Amino acid sequence: MHHVSTTVTALFVFLLVAMILSLAFEEKIHAKKSVIVGWFAAITLFMAAVFGLVRPETVEILGHPVTLPVYIPGIDWEVIAIILGSSLFVDVTSKCGLFTWIAIKLTKASRGDPLKLLVFYGIMTVVFSAVLNNVTAMIIVGTLSGVSLAKLRLTNKLLGFLLIEGFLTNVGGLLTLISSVPNIIVGNAAGITFVTFFIKAGPYVVVATAVTIFMGARLFRIEALKGDAAKAEAASLVAGFDENDGIESAGFFRFGTAMTGLFIIAMASVSITPYVKDLGMGYVALAFAAIMLTRYKATADRFYQAIDWDLLAFFGCLFIVINMMEHALVLELIGEGLKPIIGLGETVGAGVLLVASAVASSVTDNIPLAAMLAKILGGLELASDSPFWWAVIFGANLGGNITPIGSASTLVAVTIIHKNKLPMSFAAFVKVAIPFAALQLAMAAAYVLIVLG
Amino acid sequence: MTNLDQFESVFKSADKAVYTYDRPTFDRVLLVTDLNEADAAGIANRVRSFLTEIDEADTRWDTLCGDEFGSVQALLENIEKQKPDLIVTYRHLHSEAWKWPHSLGEYLDVMTQATSVPVMVLPHPDAQRALPHSIKDTDRVMAITNHLTGDNQLINMALTFTKPGGTCWLTHVESQPVFERYMDAVSKIPGIDTDIAREALGEQLLKEPRDFIVACREVLDAQGLQVRIEEVVAMGRRVDEYGELIAKREIDLLVLHTKDDDQLAMHGAAYALAVELRGIPLLML
Repeated sequence: MHHVSTTVTALFVFLLVAMILSLAFEEKIHAKKSVIVGWFAAITLFMAAVFGLVRPETVEILGHPVTLPVYIPGIDWEVIAIILGSSLFVDVTSKCGLFTWIAIKLTKASRGDPLKLLVFYGIMTVVFSAVLNNVTAMIIVGTLSGVSLAKLRLTNKLLGFLLIEGFLTNVGGLLTLISSVPNIIVGNAAGITFVTFFIKAGPYVVVATAVTIFMGARLFRIEALKGDAAKAEAASLVAGFDENDGIESAGFFRFGTAMTGLFIIAMASVSITPYVKDLGMGYVALAFAAIMLTRYKATADRFYQAIDWDLLAFFGCLFIVINMMEHALVLELIGEGLKPIIGLGETVGAGVLLVASAVASSVTDNIPLAAMLAKILGGLELASDSPFWWAVIFGANLGGNITPIGSASTLVAVTIIHKNKLPMSFAAFVKVAIPFAALQLAMAAAYVLIVLG
Repeated sequence: MTNLDQFESVFKSADKAVYTYDRPTFDRVLLVTDLNEADAAGIANRVRSFLTEIDEADTRWDTLCGDEFGSVQALLENIEKQKPDLIVTYRHLHSEAWKWPHSLGEYLDVMTQATSVPVMVLPHPDAQRALPHSIKDTDRVMAITNHLTGDNQLINMALTFTKPGGTCWLTHVESQPVFERYMDAVSKIPGIDTDIAREALGEQLLKEPRDFIVACREVLDAQGLQVRIEEVVAMGRRVDEYGELIAKREIDLLVLHTKDDDQLAMHGAAYALAVELRGIPLLML
């Protein structure tokens, strides 16, 4: 450990706070996340060089000495590869029509009954959030809710549907290791495998989904249809949806379906698959994306153009900033601050950490929080089944349900709400969200302490 | 990455108009002529043998002769009194303007818009413009529109008049000049790829009526209706396109909408078709 003066550490603490505040006020600054964090990455790198905290290191890669700029090893390339590969894979696979086919099939299966529709859409949100990512899940289920409720002349229920779906994206984001970025970051740092993650988080997700749907149905008065005439009319209205309309080719549809199944299996079995375990989940995601792109081999550049470079650049720069914070001993300082919490023991300590993570995630991006806490907890050499890891995972995900800016998927829900010209202010969202978030967090705390503790 | 509009478009496209078969009934048919009683009776017999598909045992056939109305007001009052389900007439009642094929005549013009009753327009008895196959039977009926999707009334009306074993053409012709005008505007917007817009928009405009015709066929097959459904979905210049289709396929009856919720006058394209297509009967809804 090198020596760093308190003044230098304080300066870097100031930079970290400034970055978090800038991210919280992203909308006011009118700047993309990648640009904000990019500024801070440039500043922290320069300051670290000025204060002699970092210098280029020569490392040996496959027998060749390579001198890397300090910002290259600071980035967690496995996380970047998983996000890039998964996004590309989901984007290309969505073109086969599988996700819209499932969505429309469920709409028709509900026969237009609002309560059944809410249950089906709720479950679909959770499953899509788990298998795809919570932003894509919210986009698919949210837009379908808008179209199908307009068809059923139930636009007065749309606000309730969208809010419940928004809350469920963050619950579904807890289901697998690749369902959300905090899971990937913290799971990787803790060494939790895909299967372990699923087995441990699954029961909570099932219960939280059922409770959220039940509570939402009561709060927004989403009830089953009464009377044969109303049921017949609703059934005839949704019967007009054609689940096959979005399928360009039956062959590609079958291929996309098979590949989605294989993708989940491959991701789940990375840690036990010979050779692949050495390459990691990022390799699996990228390899599946490459296979799917074969279908669009002549126009693959369209998908590259559609990649969310803002998100990827944000991650890259964020890892650099956190790496610089580590060199400036800021993480050590925060770790010292967390020691009293951890010192409370695996029961109270984990509970406090969960709630603190949730509150922090509700007002700023949960990714820097997860990345920072993963690094700090990693330094404490905790076991991979320590409840502290799960406290961060549950807190970082569920905290997104407290405010509309708490997670990308709730932000998408609010965007769809506004697109449908429904009134929803920041305060109104928080007022509706608090009871849901409070219940989900209370259940999560109990689950982490009693079941996972 | 995925975006809102991408999935919204997919779901909106998957939301298809539903076709339901519902056969309208015609309890009272009113023939409106400007002839005397004897001449009118001859036309009435011809019309009745032409419209066998709607002639049920209890269908009442009435005739309004030339001396029973001398003004548009009197004609409308007669129609109001008789409350027919179908009016059969021809262009230029009480007028010799039929010699100049440039209008419909004041009676027909007002009748189609001022009443909600479907009006069947026959070729003028004196004009000699009827095509050889005209007013004989209805085994070749064509429904025409520029917006077929969801238009159950138009299709059901056309099917009702089609003889069993006959053919009903469901047509949808998008206006090529209007399309070109939009494409010209698109070609001047740098943010929109003109070739992609032309291909995608052209495909989508024609896809919807095609999908609806497929849905119609499925419903009619299930109903066991003995009518063959033919599809004509294209871009073109409407009047030219329909004139050509009618002559080529020897259409017996053309069914079209004439009303427009936004205006008192006849729906733009319908007026041109009603004026120019004088060789066969038209059913104007």
